[in-house]
Amino acid sequence: MMNLILLIILLFLLIYTSGTQGIKVFISLCINFFLLITCFYIIVLGIDAKIVSILICFLIARVVLFFVNGENVKTTSSMISIVIVLILLLSSIFIVTKITRIAGFSEEAFEEINMFEYEVGLDFSNITVAMILIGLIGAIIDSSIAISSALHEVHINNKTLNKKELYNSGITIGKDILCTTMNTLLFAFISEFMTLIIWYKTSSYTILEIINSKLFVSEIIKILFSAIGCILVIPITSYVTANNLKKKEKI
Amino acid sequence: MKINSKFELITILSIIILSIFTTIFSINDDFMYKKSILKITHIENIKEEVVQNSTGIHEKIYTKEIEGIYTNGKNKNKKEKIIYDESYSSVVTDKYKVGDKIFVDSNEIVGLKRDTYIVIFIWIFILLLFILGKKRGILTLVTVGINTIIFYYGLSLYLKGINLLLMCFIISILSTVISLALVNGINKKTLSAILSTLLSLSILLIMVLLVCKLSKYSGINFTEINFLTVPYEDVFIAEIMIGGLGAIMDVSMTIVSAISELIEKDPKISIKSLKKSGKEISKDIMGTMINVLFFTYLCSGLDTFVLATRNGFSIINYITNNLTIEETRFLVGSIGIVLTIPVSLFVTIKFFKTEGDK
Repeated sequence: MMNLILLIILLFLLIYTSGTQGIKVFISLCINFFLLITCFYIIVLGIDAKIVSILICFLIARVVLFFVNGENVKTTSSMISIVIVLILLLSSIFIVTKITRIAGFSEEAFEEINMFEYEVGLDFSNITVAMILIGLIGAIIDSSIAISSALHEVHINNKTLNKKELYNSGITIGKDILCTTMNTLLFAFISEFMTLIIWYKTSSYTILEIINSKLFVSEIIKILFSAIGCILVIPITSYVTANNLKKKEKI
Repeated sequence: MKINSKFELITILSIIILSIFTTIFSINDDFMYKKSILKITHIENIKEEVVQNSTGIHEKIYTKEIEGIYTNGKNKNKKEKIIYDESYSSVVTDKYKVGDKIFVDSNEIVGLKRDTYIVIFIWIFILLLFILGKKRGILTLVTVGINTIIFYYGLSLYLKGINLLLMCFIISILSTVISLALVNGINKKTLSAILSTLLSLSILLIMVLLVCKLSKYSGINFTEINFLTVPYEDVFIAEIMIGGLGAIMDVSMTIVSAISELIEKDPKISIKSLKKSGKEISKDIMGTMINVLFFTYLCSGLDTFVLATRNGFSIINYITNNLTIEETRFLVGSIGIVLTIPVSLFVTIKFFKTEGDK
């Protein structure tokens, strides 16, 4: 019930502050929720979670970019950059989860899952890869669209800039948004971390035990991959957008 | 990436040297641990069996004999053999390899030694941040570090008996002021961003408290956090507030800089057209910001979802039962984002227009 009340408040505020655009945001959220649950369901059916997650990320990016912001040079450039970043990240996330063995549940979560049987016949290391990848798609889309639309503005206001100069101003804009994005991510993760830290402090874990525990390590890896994704997307989007803007000019 | 100045060269070199040093240290820090550490030298498959759970799903369970040498404590250099059951799905077990270091407590495996990986990974992040962001990157790192320390100490104070909500509010004020002032310097823009952040946060807090009290947390499933020995409703509210704070800061800073830019370019601009442009800007950022929170929060339920549905639970049951805390976090954060738009517009216009008139 409580979530329903919050949902209604959110819908009301969205319509009040931005009218039709607000409704569009709300619809795109519903589509994303549907996509997410479908993706969860396909993973449960036993299809490789890595492949499902990268396809669903692609779909989600399409919905967020083309449905809410419309199809244009900005969004197509963002789309290309997001796909590049996702492919780069997928392989490294896979390797890191394999090495650090963060798949599955840690002992801190046993109480939550002890009503289930553990023999489920699905490799949880793939599921962890999917979790990290889908978890960071939102942040990457945010950074990417911020850069491509800012670059577009720069291009319109100053058409004499060449590709290299455009790329450089993309990096400069990227630096500005990097800090605030990091902060948004940090606070979102601190909010998830709080329970964990209180738990560690009340049950007198030592620092050494904390940095080796599966739960802590997997949270850190999640936040760092989101951050690394946001860092990587800045030069890639700047390059792709600068390229596309100049290409369009020639035609 | 080109290296443009001596400063950058020195910083990159020192990052690399420090990272090599700390990594080597973390590989050889076994003496610091009280628990015994075993370095695996040999693994042998003893038995392989297929089990079936109550919903008819088959899974392989491997019984392995792990052989290794202790690397610390009084048993140092002694050999040891441990029998370990490993499942294919690794829901609660891990797959160990030769060369891994594992913690062992009275002949049972506790877990993998992961500190080296964490150290290497954090350094890779720092290096990337510096290569792209240069001085800005370091500043970001400092902000993130300070915020983490503030939270850590705030939570320590809470465990000593200070009211959690009060503490969270003080922490929020502190980290808002520090983050915004560090990144943008102390000026009128920062001041109005701080003001609108805090105003939005207060409104959000009152709203959330009201909704919580009215609905008495109906439909929220606390099993995920009820292993805490402290009152978890308080922790829950504090958590969702902090989760929204970053996003609120982000939105209000964006709006404040855009509005002040407009006023700077045309000091005679009317309040009406300022409001209109403010709304235009907010439309662009709102959708993607809400999506950041959506995926960050809701995706963290995937592993429980897989476990629950493979155990025969329905999806609806999962959405209305297991995912509720993440849903609340996301909803409160999004309300925070949307709420901040009119609030920061109002604050900025008041702030800049009255100052400008004098």
